[in-house]
Amino acid sequence: MKHFLRKGDFWSGLALAGFGAYVVATARHWTYMGEDGPGAGFFPMWYGAAMVVLSLLLVAGAVLKPGAGEARTLPWSDLRRALTCWVAFVACIALFKALGFMLAFASLTWFIIAVMYGQSHRKALLVAIGGALVFQMLFGWVLDIQLPAGPFAALLSR
Amino acid sequence: MFGKRMLRAVAAAALAVSAVAAHAQWKPTRTVDVIVHTGPGGGSDLLARAMVTMIEKEKLVPVRMQVLNRPGGNGAVAAAALAERKDDPHTIGLITSVWIGTGLTSSEMTVTVRDLRPIAQLMLEPAVFAVRADSPFKTLKDFIEAARAKPGQLKQSGGSITSRDNIIRQTLQAHTGTRWAFVSFPGGGERLAALLGGHVDIMVIEPQEAGEHVRAGKLRVLAQIAEKPLPAYPGVPTLKEAGFDVTPTPQIRAVVAPPQMPAEAAQYWYGVFDKLRQTASWKKYLADNQLEDKFADGATLFKTVAQIEREMREQFTLAGTKVVR
Amino acid sequence: MDPIAGLMHGFAVALTPANLMMCVAGTFLGTVIGVLPGLGPAATIAMLLPLTMKLDPTGAMIMLAGIYYGAKYGGSTTSILLNVPGESASIVTCLDGYQMARKGRAGAALGMAAIASFIAGTVGVIALMLIAPPLAQLSLAFSAPEYFALMVLGLAMVVLLAGESLTKALLAMLIGLWIATIGTDLFSATSRFTFGQSALLGGIDFVIVAIGVFAVGEVMANMEPTTAPDVLPVPKGLRNLLPTWEDMRRCRFAFVNGSIVGFIIGVLPGAGGTISSFVSYGIEKAVSRHPEKFGTGVIEGVAAPEGANNADTAGALVPLLTLGIPGGSSTAILLAALVLWGFKPGPLFIQESPALFWGLVASMYIGNVVLLLMNIPLVPVFARLLKIPGYAMYPLVLGVSLVGVYSDGNSLFELGLLAGFGLLGYAMRKLGYPAAPLLLGLVLGDAMEKALRQSLMMSQGDVAILYRPIPAALLVVAAVLLAVPLFKKFNDVRVRMIDQEV
Repeated sequence: MKHFLRKGDFWSGLALAGFGAYVVATARHWTYMGEDGPGAGFFPMWYGAAMVVLSLLLVAGAVLKPGAGEARTLPWSDLRRALTCWVAFVACIALFKALGFMLAFASLTWFIIAVMYGQSHRKALLVAIGGALVFQMLFGWVLDIQLPAGPFAALLSR
Repeated sequence: MFGKRMLRAVAAAALAVSAVAAHAQWKPTRTVDVIVHTGPGGGSDLLARAMVTMIEKEKLVPVRMQVLNRPGGNGAVAAAALAERKDDPHTIGLITSVWIGTGLTSSEMTVTVRDLRPIAQLMLEPAVFAVRADSPFKTLKDFIEAARAKPGQLKQSGGSITSRDNIIRQTLQAHTGTRWAFVSFPGGGERLAALLGGHVDIMVIEPQEAGEHVRAGKLRVLAQIAEKPLPAYPGVPTLKEAGFDVTPTPQIRAVVAPPQMPAEAAQYWYGVFDKLRQTASWKKYLADNQLEDKFADGATLFKTVAQIEREMREQFTLAGTKVVR
Repeated sequence: MDPIAGLMHGFAVALTPANLMMCVAGTFLGTVIGVLPGLGPAATIAMLLPLTMKLDPTGAMIMLAGIYYGAKYGGSTTSILLNVPGESASIVTCLDGYQMARKGRAGAALGMAAIASFIAGTVGVIALMLIAPPLAQLSLAFSAPEYFALMVLGLAMVVLLAGESLTKALLAMLIGLWIATIGTDLFSATSRFTFGQSALLGGIDFVIVAIGVFAVGEVMANMEPTTAPDVLPVPKGLRNLLPTWEDMRRCRFAFVNGSIVGFIIGVLPGAGGTISSFVSYGIEKAVSRHPEKFGTGVIEGVAAPEGANNADTAGALVPLLTLGIPGGSSTAILLAALVLWGFKPGPLFIQESPALFWGLVASMYIGNVVLLLMNIPLVPVFARLLKIPGYAMYPLVLGVSLVGVYSDGNSLFELGLLAGFGLLGYAMRKLGYPAAPLLLGLVLGDAMEKALRQSLMMSQGDVAILYRPIPAALLVVAAVLLAVPLFKKFNDVRVRMIDQEV
């Protein structure tokens, strides 16, 4: 009976139902129907309600349909690598202003190549530094998009 | 030979020179950002780009200037972006009355125009009431009477509900005791299309936008929303002349800067705009676009903003719009 | 001036060496900048406007139009190669274009994008030339109620984009609708779902969502295996470097579809290239003999939207040049440029400035040819980009995503949003939620809500306004589209029940 607890549909359905309920609850604070027509709350109410209905349908489907044939179970081992990459991406963004684009991006690149894919450090560093330079030259100088400079600010300001 | 007197003279000269050097004109040394609250193609954006082009043509500034679009929240995002730059002398912003209106009605706008450093007041943007050329309304009075006969049936297209279009509508409604509907369209093109297509009955439009359509015989202008009559529309009455004694809401355009911009930089920027407004290209721009020159310095701008705030607050309260400041 | 005479006059203007150079320069610059994600056509035109200030008006206008066109051509490159949408109108191209690249047919996809763009763009210019004024008048009949019905029809297309689970597709669409609601409500100035962040007051740019969900999500999904596979095989042989005659034959309808849909939607003020690309993709899928293959790398799925977003450019120029009404931000800048040079775009424009109008039209023909000639040889070059080993490709995609988003707003907050949507995209992939309906909901939901409220404002609450001929017709079609799968499900259940009884 508890097979549905492993199903992605079950949990995502529940999450979306909760989210839909949140949307409806928030929309209640806004005008539903003003004197000139529907207010700010009109649309969110409706799609929030639709979200609740559809996601509960999904949950019901996950619970009632037997067997693992349609189950989408969540293999944590696969997720780990993807999520590690994501954390590295977020870290890169967080360090954008502090390290400047080139260093942050180079670090991310090195991380992916050397750590995630186990290539040699030399290869990783080469691609990292090369890539960062190409990006900086192409976007920063040719297109004059001001990428954060970090410690190279003095060097890069023109 | 180089006695004490000479020494004193030299010392005095040196002092004078160093004093001048200390007060030497601050000049920008890197690209300057001009922040506007619309996306590319919007009213403020186009004005800013025209301005930058003229400044570059007249060589008033030694560096490049670029327009930064920070749309969102009817000015809230742009105001916050300016405040974020604290004392950066290489940033200025272009404001309109929309910023003031949003400051009064939106609690999310954390930085208002009063928090920013005023540099110079540039111009007033007049507007006109326009209807289709084949509509039954020949004067604004006709429209008001028709609105009185059929409350809520006539429609006006315009921008957001805190825009000048709606404010003047609500002022007129309150003044004449009538009521007509307001339909918001985000883009100027859509508003005009709605009017030309017969989906709405009237709109408030900038004179130069209407110009071509009037010339082609598609639009009729009923009244001017301006303090002084517009030269391009000689036969068109102002609101007062048409019989409606209401204060036309001024739509100003002015230059501001981050809150803590140093005095020398602020002075420099005021100087740039002062020189700009005396150039022939600026005068031609104002004339072509039927804008009213209202140049003034930062202190005057501050007072103007306060006055507009008072008027808007009154108008919003009268119309029932929630005022949060 | 009748079209043929006008066109001859126009070619005389457009083929002068100076103007020809302007055309080439404009299309080239537009393409190059269009390739880079994050900068859409409006921003590109705005950025390059100062360059044109020093030229004579006709030449400058030709250059600007070239930039506008070129930007639309260039947007498909990163969509196909990296699953990073180059601009909002190229989001749909990612769906099948990237899948084709994964199967080794990147060259065919890129080539087809260019060819479809050329055909649809040329058809668009012909239409602009021949039927612009009457069409513009007709388009004025299109207002909020008609838009609303069109958007509902567009959203009904989600049914066509559904794939295996309709429920999940609808849920994805609803999430998209929610994202579209974030920001300041135009009509009541209330802020919705901004969580107190002033940066969200302007809403979330859908390019950020698209790049996050498509590109970043894809990279994360690809991280799962511990070795970097040759996920993107390099196209070998001419067969895969350019579209084959077989491909061209398959896309016959897509060319027509893209041209017509793109042009017509382009004419409507307020509707943009994004909508036309979604609608033409949906129509292509609806009439296809193998609809279930869409999303796996079907070449018509590239031809239709790419053609649409180019025909849309010509369409957008119709209200601008015949009525003086700018349909969107790109045309607003073009309008301002025209005014700056002393032209008067409006109902009398074509009569009074025939040299400019016809010169522009002629230069658009030339521009299309130039772009085709420029892009086709570049296709093998770009396709070879895929020779980069997998482990270097993914950082490249992430880097392009970062710079693309940052270049638009200089905002770390937006980069954070990018990461967030990347996570969402990955989660959706793992849980079987299709991404296309989310983008569809995001793009159309916003327009639909506005149109509905505008309609009801116009009618003062009376829903009967939607019963006008055009909206009624569109709504009926939408209802049919929505009813078909339900009908199918009914039928399946019925058949199953019959089988069980037997």
